[in-house]
Amino acid sequence: MSATTTTAIAPLVVEEVTVRFAGLTALDGVSFTVEPGSVHAVIGPNGAGKSTTFNVLSGVYRATEGSVRFGDDELTGLPPHRIAALGVARTFQNIALPPHVTVADSLLLGRHRLTRTGFVAAGLRLPSAAREERRHRERVAEIAEFVGLADDLDRPAGELPYGKQKLVELARALCMEPRILLLDEPVAGMTADERRQTAAVVAGVRDSLGISIVLVEHDMGVVMRLADAVTVLDFGRRIAGGTPAQVQGDPAVVQAYLGTEATP
Amino acid sequence: MSDTDRPGSAERAERVEAAKPSVPAPAGEAAKPSVPAPAGEAAVPAKAADAAPVPPGGTEPAKAASEAARPGRVAGVRQGPPWRRPRAYLWVALSLLLLALPFYLDRFWLQAGLFAMAAAIGAIGINLLTGATGQLSMGHAFFLAIGAYGYCVLAGGNDVESGHELAGLGLPTWLAAVLAVLLAGLAGGVFSPIAGRLRGAYLGIATLALIFVGQHVLFNARDLTGGFNGRSVPPLSLFGFEFDDSELLVAAVPFQSMEKLWYAALVALLVCGLFARGVLRSRPGRAMNALRDHRIAAGVMGVPVARYRAAVFVLSSMYAGLAGVLLALIFQRTVPEYFGMILSLEYLAMIVIGGLGTVAGAVVGAIFVSLLPQVLTRWSDALPLVSAPGTGGVSPGEASRYLYGAAVVAVVLFLPGGLTRLVPSPREKK
Ligand SMILES: Nc1ncnc2c1ncn2[C@@H]1O[C@H](COP(=O)(O)OP(=O)(O)OP(=O)(O)O)[C@@H](O)[C@H]1O
Ligand SMILES: [Mg+2]
Repeated sequence: MSATTTTAIAPLVVEEVTVRFAGLTALDGVSFTVEPGSVHAVIGPNGAGKSTTFNVLSGVYRATEGSVRFGDDELTGLPPHRIAALGVARTFQNIALPPHVTVADSLLLGRHRLTRTGFVAAGLRLPSAAREERRHRERVAEIAEFVGLADDLDRPAGELPYGKQKLVELARALCMEPRILLLDEPVAGMTADERRQTAAVVAGVRDSLGISIVLVEHDMGVVMRLADAVTVLDFGRRIAGGTPAQVQGDPAVVQAYLGTEATP
Repeated sequence: MSDTDRPGSAERAERVEAAKPSVPAPAGEAAKPSVPAPAGEAAVPAKAADAAPVPPGGTEPAKAASEAARPGRVAGVRQGPPWRRPRAYLWVALSLLLLALPFYLDRFWLQAGLFAMAAAIGAIGINLLTGATGQLSMGHAFFLAIGAYGYCVLAGGNDVESGHELAGLGLPTWLAAVLAVLLAGLAGGVFSPIAGRLRGAYLGIATLALIFVGQHVLFNARDLTGGFNGRSVPPLSLFGFEFDDSELLVAAVPFQSMEKLWYAALVALLVCGLFARGVLRSRPGRAMNALRDHRIAAGVMGVPVARYRAAVFVLSSMYAGLAGVLLALIFQRTVPEYFGMILSLEYLAMIVIGGLGTVAGAVVGAIFVSLLPQVLTRWSDALPLVSAPGTGGVSPGEASRYLYGAAVVAVVLFLPGGLTRLVPSPREKK
């Protein structure tokens, strides 16, 4: 199990994934590949199926059809914690942070899969538990520093401005030491300053860690700046893909965003 | 999604340039050369070092500077030595008081206090499950019953009580107590496939079944439980020391079962409280809270949702089992009606009134809910409307149910977080 954390970054291959809810096809035969170490943006109008894609990748939803492979591992059908154990980390479009818990403790939750302390060790306060906790708090502080949250570690997340809370989510995902990072609208609701800071963090993660990043974002500035490849969804179908420049010029994409008519 | 959001590539490059310096440790120029070895190694050796290290948060000077900027976090300045903390004095005073009480209180109040301590242990258990993990349980009384009856059956002999022949294993009583707790845990384990799959209120409904099944068995498995009449409880003996009613003079005060049990219960409560606190404040506690607050996010963070729910259910059952053993020892007789739905509701009332998800909340709530009827009983003639049981009017038991019913509503409306929130305690929430 832990062997997977040492292997090189692998490609993420999404193949013909279909997700149906009662009467609604949220994803319809979507395929794309995230190349190792790249930033892959998934864009599309509201309700296109972007978050649903993330939910399939992270095991929250089960694909009705199709498969998702990460390196040699088949992700389809695995429960979320098994997928997390393979090094897949994500953030949520709607912040999923407990408001009264300190930032440090929220980030430590991200270390769950990298730590061992169980009920007995924690309850008996064994030295091994204390040692592990100390070590991982140090690492959490480093990551907070990197993301720009060093001064907020002891504050409850709910006291932070919205933009910072989104950064906490990003930091928590980084705390999982992931091999692939799924970011669902990381800069939504942020000020221009925070957007710039977040974009720089994402760029920094890619450059220094070489992990793959899948980015769902409505802010085209951020997408075009960061993405190596773009997949465009509309009504659950992939309508275009390629480099940012290619996608930007694609008439189907323009049409989808202007919403004149369905793609041919 | 307007076109103004799509800058040309020249502008794009410029923005990235502008953005980069604003990150504290951009891992670009400064940090990159140092990525592989030193800082990362020192901070997180084994595991995280082979997992791809995030750019280690900066070189030594940078770290020192940032720590200087946040003096409060370094070297535990937050707490200082014990003799400088007013709280420490409070704890010492409270401990002395608790240790001295058996020398001054009569049997009635000792029993009431013991009852509160046993309830506190059970309440800590259900607070781990319902308060901290968000899994509602209506079946707590069932596990209390397993503890109480388990102890009786394991420790009791093959006696004849009021015409019934009762079966028992006649084990040493301390062993019976330990096994009864494990038995409650085992029962929790048997139910845990269900406890792991169901969430929140759904589990509450499923656990109702335990109450009904449990009480049915208690009334009907006469050979083991004594049926309607219940079963007498063999007194505990520990390392040759008997917690029975034989008198023992301590400083000219006669010690009977209640006095002796008082100290055993104090120790048990202390150990249970510290254990639960340890759990809540470290990795398992964080995972439990995550299950309660954001179940989906918890799974995505790597918490095995079903396994954790099941484990907490078992732990909570064991707390209930120990509380059951103590209750049996205190009452010296177990009867089946006691372990009904009302009891489960009382435990839920305790944690709501005291405070959900914390040890302190469970203890405060348990004291409130279990002492209230005793207080009303003792002073029933002094209180308007309340009269002694059986004389018409409102009996103390009823009156206390109205009162803590009202307390639950009042707490939910006006004091979310429970009575423990009344005490301002910075950073001492668990
Ligand atoms: N659990 C669910 N049950 C039913 N329908 C769902 C569920 N989750 C998503 N959907 C539907 O699937 C479609 C795609 O939703 P999704 O959240 O993936 O869109 P999105 O691309 O992320 O949109 P946005 O930009 O608004 O976040 C929507 O029509 C949505 O209503
Ligand atoms: Mg979405």
